[in-house]
Amino acid sequence: MTSPTQATAAPRHAGARDRAELRRAAVRVLLRNWTGRSTLPSRSLYPHQWSWDSAFIALGLRHVSPRRAQQELESMLGAQWTDGRLPHIVFDPATPPDAYFPGPGFWTPETAAAQTPAGTSTTGIVQPPVHAFAAWETHLADPGESRRRGFLRRAYPRLAAWHRYLARHRDLGGSGLAAIVHPWESGMDNSPLWDGLLERVTPWPPGSFQRRDLDHAAGGDRPTDLDYGRYLRLAADYRDHGYDDAATPHAFAAEDPSFNALRIVSEHALARIAAETGHDPQPHESRARELTRALTASLYDPGAGLFLARDLVGGEPVREYGAAGLVPLAVPGLPVAGELLATARGERFRLGATRLVPSYDLTGHAFDPHRYWRGPGWFNVSWVIHRGLMLHGAAQDAAALRASLLAAASSTGFAEYVDPYSGEGHGTRDFSWTAATALDLLAQEEAAA
Amino acid sequence: MAVHRPLKLACQEQLLPGDTLQRKWEFAARAGYDGIELRGRGDFAFRDRLPELRAARRDGVVMPTVCVDMRHFFGAFDPEQRRDAVAQLKSQLSVIAEIGGGAAQTPASYGMFSRRLPPFEPPRSEAEDREVLLEGLAELGEHAAAEGVVLLLEPLNRYEDHMVNRLDQAADLIREAGSPAVRIGIDTYHMNIEEADPAAAVLAAGEYIGHVQVSDSNRFQPGAGHIDWPAVLAAVDAIGYTGHLALECRLSGDAEEAVASVPPFLRRAAP
Repeated sequence: MTSPTQATAAPRHAGARDRAELRRAAVRVLLRNWTGRSTLPSRSLYPHQWSWDSAFIALGLRHVSPRRAQQELESMLGAQWTDGRLPHIVFDPATPPDAYFPGPGFWTPETAAAQTPAGTSTTGIVQPPVHAFAAWETHLADPGESRRRGFLRRAYPRLAAWHRYLARHRDLGGSGLAAIVHPWESGMDNSPLWDGLLERVTPWPPGSFQRRDLDHAAGGDRPTDLDYGRYLRLAADYRDHGYDDAATPHAFAAEDPSFNALRIVSEHALARIAAETGHDPQPHESRARELTRALTASLYDPGAGLFLARDLVGGEPVREYGAAGLVPLAVPGLPVAGELLATARGERFRLGATRLVPSYDLTGHAFDPHRYWRGPGWFNVSWVIHRGLMLHGAAQDAAALRASLLAAASSTGFAEYVDPYSGEGHGTRDFSWTAATALDLLAQEEAAA
Repeated sequence: MAVHRPLKLACQEQLLPGDTLQRKWEFAARAGYDGIELRGRGDFAFRDRLPELRAARRDGVVMPTVCVDMRHFFGAFDPEQRRDAVAQLKSQLSVIAEIGGGAAQTPASYGMFSRRLPPFEPPRSEAEDREVLLEGLAELGEHAAAEGVVLLLEPLNRYEDHMVNRLDQAADLIREAGSPAVRIGIDTYHMNIEEADPAAAVLAAGEYIGHVQVSDSNRFQPGAGHIDWPAVLAAVDAIGYTGHLALECRLSGDAEEAVASVPPFLRRAAP
């Protein structure tokens, strides 16, 4: 283990004073990015509310203010469409419409058959369903405050409708698993997992749109113009079919192991929420078990020791190895947890030798330690893997990953993502879910001590 | 693992049962307070309490701050009242220094004028208000610095004072007055009325905050209203504030029970 890829110099056990200062710095990020209703992922690069960001932010915000963590999720649930979908962005009315592209003028959800709530402006695609899980964890942070505000009683029907939307409208492959119809729906927007699938998509011509992300971040870290043209084509096709999942001729459709694993984790949480609010938990527990079976049967690849995405247009597994394939480690009762642990520790992800879990295969042909979702480590993904490690008895790996994640959050000023080898920060700083996941891991560390 | 600064709490003296500071301290310490915030009356009454205060200090009573308890203030319209308020405050700063405390707190005015109540237009212009306040803060800051203590300027809500309602207004005056011995004394009740986001306001004014008074949204003890205490206390902690949180409020329910309920409530809500 003396290769240059070995992580070096990360203080494994920072002092208590450093921990306290890190916690205060993380609190400052979440307090500053709060809008009064929800938390901006970043004041510069992401000036709206993002769906899965909100869920991860709530996991940290609950340690700052349980009430705000509830409001964060309520703001997202308040933008739910009549068909049950939770949109991937809720646009902040206080932010100028051209501050983010593609903005409100592009998505025009008012043309959709399913309606958005009056007064809200959203996109029409979705992101991984982490919300029920985040809602349950938020409830646990202060059950008294949660019950006083009727948090779960009000959230449960909306969370159940969200999961129902995925079951009814997104089972495009017939296995029970939910399909994503745009790479952005995976949350891992520019992952090499989607490269081959995107090649079929005719891009919008460069010059026909004005990106805003490059105003705030280095071009070398962000997706290329060609990719962007394809993303826009897919979104426009979906929009032009009224966001009707059955009517849209999807040029891109895939079963993503991370999206579905997080859905299962949330389905388990829905069972607990149902029980807490006087509903029947059984249907959720049954569905979680069914989905775990389907996930393992459809997407687990024994040869790779990893879950692979499935291309629903071509009908084949996607032979690219990404961190999305490790996310099922967070699923309770996963039958192949041991194999997945071995893969995490193996050459593709090098758990223990990398700072954060790399978003893509370290040995892969497309690996780039700096480019958006094509290799860097992301704090939310590592947080989920950390949970999986704890769940499946790998407490030592979990402790090492936790220490490494906290060191990286601290040294980079809460960077959006980091070079998995050096820990060098990339993307924006004071990134909300980086601060939130750090806060939660600090709380876990404290509880364990 | 993480080092949590223990939350230091003080209780204003009139809220505590007992007829001496020593008896009040016994109750306060038993209830979980670490100090008593004194009230400073006019006519040099606070100075006249020096024998009592010295004895209390000898007996171990911790008295970190004094909060002015008068009917006129250093921002008064009347020049005579201004002069007297400045003289009283200087004396209170000297007394609190002598008994081992660190600060005296005053608003610009209280109950003198509100722009939200008739006749709506104050008899003095904003520019003149500012001149008066800057002059007073400069003089008081100089005296506080000489005594090695701090003068605390407390923003009040719009119904109680027409000059300094928000933390950013206080910070702006303090910057211009230029004395490091003048800081903001924040009060969560007034902030609940005036600040769009109290926690964000604390962060923004963090470097100027020298003291914190606590009461809930309805002026009752923390826990009796609807302030988001975890958020506010997280912000106070996140700016590195290490002083006392002083209880200044009215009490709902049984007075002794109400006072005793605050330390466990705030310590549960604190990060």
